[in-house]
Amino acid sequence: MEKYLVRDLMVPLSEYATVHVGSTLFDAVLALEKAQEEFDHTKYKHRGVLILDKKNRVIGKLSHLHTLRALEPKHDDVNGIKELGQFGFSAKFVRSLRKQQRRQGAPLEDLCKKAMMLKVEEFMHITAEDEFIDHQATLDMAIHQLVQEKLLSLMVTQDGNTIGILRLADVFAAVYHAMKECTI
Amino acid sequence: MKALTELFDRIVQRVNINLRELAFDVRPFVKDLVPFNQLVKFYAFYGITPHHPLDFQFRHSNLAGSYFLGKCRTTNSILYKSDIRGDELKKKGDIFQYPGFEIPVSKDEGIRIEDSFLIKTLVHNYSHDPETLEKFFITNTVSTHYANIHGSPTDGSYLGPFSTVDLTTMNDCVIGAFSYVQASEISHLNIEPGTVWVRSPNNFNFLYRYPLDKLSHYIHFAAGAPPQGLLMDFVEDRKEAFQRVFEKVNIEQVSVPKSASLDRFAVLKPKTHISDNVLVAQRAFLQNAWMGKGANAQENCYIINARLEGFNVTAHGAKIIEADLGQNVFVGFNSFLRGRPDCRLTIGKDSIIMPHTIIDIKEPLKIPPDHLVWGLVTCAADLETHSISLKALSKINDAFSLGSMFFEGSGNSFVTAFRDRIHHILEANGALYDGMKNKGHAQKNQNISFNTIQPYPEGELKGVYPTIIIRP
Repeated sequence: MEKYLVRDLMVPLSEYATVHVGSTLFDAVLALEKAQEEFDHTKYKHRGVLILDKKNRVIGKLSHLHTLRALEPKHDDVNGIKELGQFGFSAKFVRSLRKQQRRQGAPLEDLCKKAMMLKVEEFMHITAEDEFIDHQATLDMAIHQLVQEKLLSLMVTQDGNTIGILRLADVFAAVYHAMKECTI
Repeated sequence: MKALTELFDRIVQRVNINLRELAFDVRPFVKDLVPFNQLVKFYAFYGITPHHPLDFQFRHSNLAGSYFLGKCRTTNSILYKSDIRGDELKKKGDIFQYPGFEIPVSKDEGIRIEDSFLIKTLVHNYSHDPETLEKFFITNTVSTHYANIHGSPTDGSYLGPFSTVDLTTMNDCVIGAFSYVQASEISHLNIEPGTVWVRSPNNFNFLYRYPLDKLSHYIHFAAGAPPQGLLMDFVEDRKEAFQRVFEKVNIEQVSVPKSASLDRFAVLKPKTHISDNVLVAQRAFLQNAWMGKGANAQENCYIINARLEGFNVTAHGAKIIEADLGQNVFVGFNSFLRGRPDCRLTIGKDSIIMPHTIIDIKEPLKIPPDHLVWGLVTCAADLETHSISLKALSKINDAFSLGSMFFEGSGNSFVTAFRDRIHHILEANGALYDGMKNKGHAQKNQNISFNTIQPYPEGELKGVYPTIIIRP
């Protein structure tokens, strides 16, 4: 299995959803939809959007969770309910306060409308040094990096440029097939 | 002043090491906050009474303008105009009650201050930590103007101006200005300014946070400048009155009832009435104040144009102006209660004003009896979200929120804990003395002899006090 190289399993950047910095969350959602339509339907679907700078370098990633965070009414939290946990209040009490706050807050539709216009850089995860891997690295190295850093994907580089993304789902699929081969 | 400069740098470095996880740099806050020439100007003084152990040790420290009573030790520290009041420390043979334990105290408890810089800070009460019964330590800590360290062993922490840590063991924490914390044990927390937090694990939890934009009118502290705001202006405006009592070695005696105690370092202005069992501590300021039987004014309290009917606890740093308080009203630490001559503040009997409450009114305001009040109150409408009757609170068994206040747990336990504590304070202060029994501070602190000590006047050790050991 270690004979697999990262470049064999990665999704090329051209096949992945990308938007440039300055795009709105709505742009990102459209890009994701388009990439999913065009992608090989026998494979796992894309779950994120990569954010590129002006020189087309990957600077961040927007996952489902990051996008949903935009719907959190952070500006409505005038009483600082979010911070109650650190003062020893129970999760049950905090949940009930959130529920109350939600009931008094804007409906989900309005929050969606508002979130659509927000910029991706406000919510994206900024890619760190340990999230990059060379395209010629072996699969076991990639697994080690994913497990060690608890990552869902790695940015694949060649000569300093990002050329693709190695997804946890594809690595798992490769391992799964290898396991099946062993049992036959 | 080479030694003093090195001492300051050493303390700052030690505090910063402890607070590195919170990325808090104490240096810009305390640099030049107290000019070094001030540290040379003032003598320190210690009290001698037959009621408290005489056991002082001062090593490599500056103690400018500070007051010591009971068993205290300072090492490698700077204490500027601070009160180290060891008259409630545990004594050898006492039994310390802790849930599930009865722990005998093996020797007299002592306050140990090491590698710390305390500015106008009050240290009082005794260590409530069962792990350190005989040692009430304050180490690697910086505290600023009018902070209170009350029964709270503290290590590696910073306390902002007018903050209070009460009955809490604290490690590596930042306590913002005007915050009050009573939470048993805390570590590695950065508490925002204006937080009032009272937590008894498994019993109750109370939290209120001031709106910072409104709090800054009263107190604001940013690096590079001294603390600012109405609270600072208020005490600065009355500073001169204290100069007279501190400058004179012998001050004329003011007649008070035999069962009452008026500290010679308190300021008593005309038309003040002192009843039986009243305790007025050092650095308290009374002007046209009517102090009913068993009422008290603790350190840094200001009671002006006010009437306290009796058995009133005015905790350390509280200020009461143009107000009428019924019997048994408790006013918590550093509270600022200000009526106006034409619109007075009235507080009904048995009410509890939470620590760090600000009531600042421009229209008459009456707080009913048996109520709990917290936070910022500027008019009657504010009471709707900043008060609750003690009866209603006692019925709470789950959780509720009111305005910016959150409460969870047993309301009855909360009210009982406060009532018990108020009773204990009255007892300790001698408010319940009947001529025979229940002697407290008001009776025991009547005859205190004060001795003064001073630092090296010049040379490399200028500002540092020589090592002094004082024993019977």
